Amino acid sequence: MQSFSLLLDGLATAITPTNLLLCFVGCLWGTAVGVLPGLGPLAGMALLLPLTYSLDPTGAVIMLAGIFYGAMYGGSTTSILLRIPGEAASIITCIDGHEMARRGRGGAALTIAAFGSFVGGTVSILGLMVAAPLLANAMLAIGPAAEAVLMAMALLVVAAVSSGPAVKTLAMITLGLVFATIGLDQLTAFPRFMFGRLELAEGMSFVALAIGLFGVSELLLSLDDAITERPRTPRLVDLLPTRAEVREAAPATLRGSLIGFAFGIVPGVSHIVSTFASYAVEKRLSRHPERFGQGAVAGLAGPETANNATTGSAMIPLLVLGIPAIPSTAILLSALQIHGVQPGPLMLSEHPGVFWGLVASMYVGNLLLLVLNLPLVGLFVALLRTPMTVLAPAVLLICVIGVFSVSASTFDLWVMVTAGAAGYGLRKFGYDVAPLLLAIVLGDRLEVSVRRALTISDGDYSTFVQGPAAQVFLGIFVLVGALQLGARALGWRRGG
Amino acid sequence: MTGTNRSPLWLTALAVLAVAPALVPGAATAQTYPTRPVSLIVPAPPGGGTDIFARQLAELVSTAVGQRFVVENRGGAGGTLGTTQVVAAQPDGYTLGFIWNSPLTTSPHSLTLAYTPDSYRAVMSIGFSSYVLCARADFPAATGAELVAHLKANPSRYTYGNDGVGGTMRLAAERIFRRIDTRVRSVPFAGAGETARAFLGGHIDFYGGSLPPILPHVQAGTAKCLMLTSADANPALPQAAGLQSLGLGEEETVLWWGLIAPARTNPQILSRLEAVFTEAARSDAFRQIMERQGATPRVLGAEATQRLIRSELAALGTVAQAIGLQRQAQ
Repeated sequence: MQSFSLLLDGLATAITPTNLLLCFVGCLWGTAVGVLPGLGPLAGMALLLPLTYSLDPTGAVIMLAGIFYGAMYGGSTTSILLRIPGEAASIITCIDGHEMARRGRGGAALTIAAFGSFVGGTVSILGLMVAAPLLANAMLAIGPAAEAVLMAMALLVVAAVSSGPAVKTLAMITLGLVFATIGLDQLTAFPRFMFGRLELAEGMSFVALAIGLFGVSELLLSLDDAITERPRTPRLVDLLPTRAEVREAAPATLRGSLIGFAFGIVPGVSHIVSTFASYAVEKRLSRHPERFGQGAVAGLAGPETANNATTGSAMIPLLVLGIPAIPSTAILLSALQIHGVQPGPLMLSEHPGVFWGLVASMYVGNLLLLVLNLPLVGLFVALLRTPMTVLAPAVLLICVIGVFSVSASTFDLWVMVTAGAAGYGLRKFGYDVAPLLLAIVLGDRLEVSVRRALTISDGDYSTFVQGPAAQVFLGIFVLVGALQLGARALGWRRGG
Repeated sequence: MTGTNRSPLWLTALAVLAVAPALVPGAATAQTYPTRPVSLIVPAPPGGGTDIFARQLAELVSTAVGQRFVVENRGGAGGTLGTTQVVAAQPDGYTLGFIWNSPLTTSPHSLTLAYTPDSYRAVMSIGFSSYVLCARADFPAATGAELVAHLKANPSRYTYGNDGVGGTMRLAAERIFRRIDTRVRSVPFAGAGETARAFLGGHIDFYGGSLPPILPHVQAGTAKCLMLTSADANPALPQAAGLQSLGLGEEETVLWWGLIAPARTNPQILSRLEAVFTEAARSDAFRQIMERQGATPRVLGAEATQRLIRSELAALGTVAQAIGLQRQAQ
């Protein structure tokens, strides 16, 4: 109850005209950087960070946090309409979200995504309020060994959710793992597959790969069947989801909230892992798993909710421990430290105003984003009325600008073009490019965490089955696998 | 293949074309520098001490000069990645590096790098901070002297997290461990934040790194810092022993920060940068920021910083050789 009155105090802080304006600016800018391919929350926050020096600490974090969760809202738009992920957490949204748009349900898809984002965001703030210290301890329990187990499991989930044939999916994952080794070895600084190119030191640019494999290849594919394909233009009355769609989306949204929040405590790539974990769950629970990949509403609503639900729990390690778990929250840490506010175990007692002001502003911000995004749905969908001959070059231009803006590197543009051509070829032959991209992201962390774990255990491989976190992960995995096998053996449902 | 071998004229023409634009406008722009935003590469991910100092300095200098200094984070490989990018950049004053000493004076002993002290020019440096070695609250040693005794009695039993193979913390710690004749297993992380997380979660025994990430946990009583890598004690951490008090004073290795530019940068631009950054670093606002991060302000000019780099590089080279650190990359 004490926290409730503190929250009310926080609300009073959050709705002062200045803070409300800062929250709005953050959300608006966040939506913008989320919508534009290439720019993500990290770039958006880093760009506005200097502006916050002149603000008070509460105002500074309110604005920066607004960018952070605002970008998660915006990221789905281009995924749904154009099959170009605005940021990594929207890759899964491309699959069914874009299929819906192709079938004239783009407006409904955007509306469902916006509502899902709102629910996910709100649930995660509630969780942050109620269980922050508890979850912080759970987060700490995940060491290198448990992280390695989780990443390995995540790769298996990627394989399971892919719509393509198993052999082709495995080929893509293997290729992704190989690509993940490119660059300087993070533990020994040994250059691998760099061919003397400094640009490859950090590995291939993720943004360039994502936009190439999805965006550019999509544009190339659309050239193939530009004459036949005209199902995209939705009528304005189709902007709202039908009752059947709402019925399918609602439970998926709730499950997505929980999955997203739970994965938010996993450091590093939680927002990405949560989306395909949610997708896998929805596919397994669905009465019509065959519809996944063909515009399944649950396949959009679950992951889109999940990536927003990670934003609240991603704040926990920052606010409770003073340790940023993902790069975006590291910027929040900087903003606070510059003002002399040190997040950590003592923040709640030393700076309650900042903490509760931020939490309350996140409620307000999620509401603002919903109000901001719903009218935009009509506008975005109207874009699809543009003929492909105009739309395709415009989108290509935006892709080029987006990729170049990340590190001003022409090398990245070549990566994008090559990935686009490769993606076109792969998709022509029925290979799904999502597992390739996800394997690159996960493979990198998998390798580093395995090697750290083995250093800590002095080469003892049993470290991967020890420790509570690793055992919990393995337990869940074995349980789900057993249920799956059991179901299959009894012939309840065919595996999808 | 045949095209390039056939005519040496080709090469000459290309060389002239490549060099000409670098020479001609260089002299003209030195007067008006900077006419466009300047990239300040920070070879670390956002959020650490180096990043905070760089952003605050960039803000102060941007206001003073009337042109934006934009911080770009290029983390990885113990800071050598971003530093290599600075050194390889056009020496036009529009790409600078705000670095800590590790990629300059430590990494060259374990890695074959594309730079030496001749590849860059130090512009100035702002001050220093000690590294700390911290244990959890229940660790069976309460002072620096007890820690030394405990480590000596239990070689290879404990693990400590550090900022990577090429990092100064690793070398600073190994220097001490070697001197007291024991071994502690090294687990490299991507930064002090990651090290702190693994330490607080109980996955490694000691936190090895800079002060700021661990300070709130010391105040909360979950961690105790027992040893500094500086000779003197630090007022922010009264219970941590300086090396002098342990009789290890000559093994001091600290963390310091400074500004570098590619070697062939116009001297006029360099002295302009030295002046504006020195002024910003001496401001009260910036000194407060440094002290809040547990760092000690000590502004050095270009000459003094360059001397510091060379002497530190030589001194750490001796240590690296003594502890058998090999160059790992080709």
